[in-house]
Amino acid sequence: MEAHVGDRIIVRGHRVGEPPRDAEILEVRGADGGPPYLVRWAENGHESLFFPGSDAYIQHLGQDAA
Amino acid sequence: MQTIQRIHRSGVGVGPDRTIGEVARVMERSGIGLVAVVDGDDLVGVVTDRDLVRRGLARGLPIDSRVDAVMSSPVLTIDADVDIHEAYDVFSLHRVRRLAVVDHGRFLGILSLDDLLVDAASDLVALVSPLAAEIAAPHRDSRVPTATG
Repeated sequence: MEAHVGDRIIVRGHRVGEPPRDAEILEVRGADGGPPYLVRWAENGHESLFFPGSDAYIQHLGQDAA
Repeated sequence: MQTIQRIHRSGVGVGPDRTIGEVARVMERSGIGLVAVVDGDDLVGVVTDRDLVRRGLARGLPIDSRVDAVMSSPVLTIDADVDIHEAYDVFSLHRVRRLAVVDHGRFLGILSLDDLLVDAASDLVALVSPLAAEIAAPHRDSRVPTATG
């Protein structure tokens, strides 16, 4: 996974009816755009260090939502 | 199959100076029961929802206590590139439900026993499917030739 500052992380819900969550990437802490990422969650503005699994994908800056 | 290929849920890390109240909110928002405690690149501990209850609430720790007061350390980990069957052995030996997956000491994510069971069930369904179809609608070769004359 490769990301840049300003890209968004989308994480699908794990329970029935749970909406996906998204966050803005504030810092890329890994090498070559890799994780972990310091992110700010859209729903509440909180920041956390994020280690993406297969439930997450990157939406690059300027890329339309799927 | 490598262990890293079975990580289905994204992991969340916090610094050791975050409060247990903040970590509880991270768990609630993320729908996860385990958060990694990281100091730079180093995985220094993990904290579960159960740790927050047993080592925090039950002992009367204030909600603004640092998370490193309740975390488990050192951490039971497994390397990302080992075969998944080694992970099965670790789960069995240590009787845990989640393992921290690392690459040369760097935290990558959480391997969950629940997710492995769902994977195994899915594999089982795929294996049973042709048998079930055969039982429901037995396949027969063309008519068996009969003797004449």
